[in-house]
Amino acid sequence: MSPHAKLISSFSLILGTTITISSNHWIMAWTGLEINTLAILPLISKSHHPRAIEAAIKYFLVQATASALVLFSSMINAWATGQWDITQLSHPTASILLTAALAMKLGLVPFHFWFPEVLQGSPMTTALLLSTVMKFPPITILFLTSNSLNPPILTTMALASAALGGWMGLNQTQTRKILAFSSISHLGWMTIIVTYSPNLTLLTFYLYSLMTAAVFLNLNTTKAMSLTTMMTSWAKIPTLSTTLMLALLSLAGLPPLTGFLPKWLIMQELTKQEMTSAATIIAILSLLGLFFYLRLAYYSTITLPPNSTNHMKQWHINKPTSPMIAIFTSLSTLLLPLSPMILATI
Amino acid sequence: MSILHLSFYATFALSGLGLAFHRTHLISALLCLESMMLSMYVALSAWPTENHTATFTLAPILMLAFSACEAATGLAMLVASSRTHGSDHLHNLNLLQC
Repeated sequence: MSPHAKLISSFSLILGTTITISSNHWIMAWTGLEINTLAILPLISKSHHPRAIEAAIKYFLVQATASALVLFSSMINAWATGQWDITQLSHPTASILLTAALAMKLGLVPFHFWFPEVLQGSPMTTALLLSTVMKFPPITILFLTSNSLNPPILTTMALASAALGGWMGLNQTQTRKILAFSSISHLGWMTIIVTYSPNLTLLTFYLYSLMTAAVFLNLNTTKAMSLTTMMTSWAKIPTLSTTLMLALLSLAGLPPLTGFLPKWLIMQELTKQEMTSAATIIAILSLLGLFFYLRLAYYSTITLPPNSTNHMKQWHINKPTSPMIAIFTSLSTLLLPLSPMILATI
Repeated sequence: MSILHLSFYATFALSGLGLAFHRTHLISALLCLESMMLSMYVALSAWPTENHTATFTLAPILMLAFSACEAATGLAMLVASSRTHGSDHLHNLNLLQC
């Protein structure tokens, strides 16, 4: 892709995200969402491969529908209350339609069907953008409207997302689809707490972005699109296998690593709000995710393939490793001792 | 709800259902998307009229600009699908199944 087009696309992504997260009026929020949708389509379809075009078409249809629904729900609220403020969405129909629209934007169950396929059809770095940057404006809108959302609907969608993300990730061999289902289950964790403590939603989102960026950039360096490629990627850059294992275990939420922090705080907050059964169910459902993270770590780092590969092993690859991998991996494994400071500032 | 608001509501809901239940062609889904945007445009245009707020007249124009961009992008996707999949049939978009 030409540098000019890449510059315009990335600049438009930053612009759209900034417009939505700093908006007070529903029209500006919608504008930012539209700019984001339009800007990422060239990035998804840049290789003109049939799978990439298919992913771009599915992404476009879903996101355009969701944006139109956001605008429509704000219109219903404006008819009922006479104002367009994002934080004052008091009409119940508008709130339910907005929840459906944001679920479509984010990929929450039952509107998640597009997400694995779109991630599978896009290049690795664009898949990273789709999982992190493109989720930031809808999560911001969820944060801003959190006082008028319907807790039973959100809890049901969150538990279903955690369940589905875990179960459907079990049978996958393509790494981008596995990361898509991991994203869906993390979104479940983010959504379950949004009506009780929206700050924890944002904290979960930030930490999830760090950890998933570490994993995506790692897989991008070794070009490991499927499990079989991952198994032989230890020969390319051995240190990257270790960092991949640590980042995956952090995504799974294991205790000395950072990924434990959002899960711990969410379960604590849910228990304080007398929602112990929801906390128990979501904690048990994240065990399913733990299985496939452990399987990825096992195949990439802990075991070596028993026979030599069919093709020449690459001991030196030409592209240098992105320095961001080091930053993201250290952040995603070592932030847990800083949790009092994190709690004080969220 | 006044009859005007009800008509906007019904137009949006019907085109939304048309988008959700699309059957064969991608272009019918794009048409329903355009129809949703059209109903939003007329609804936003009616707002400054019924509330006598002249400053809100920008909103339907802004919305129309973005929905035109979206329509153009949708048509570009249609052409791209014709080049890669041979047609705009939606049941051909099955390369990425789980």
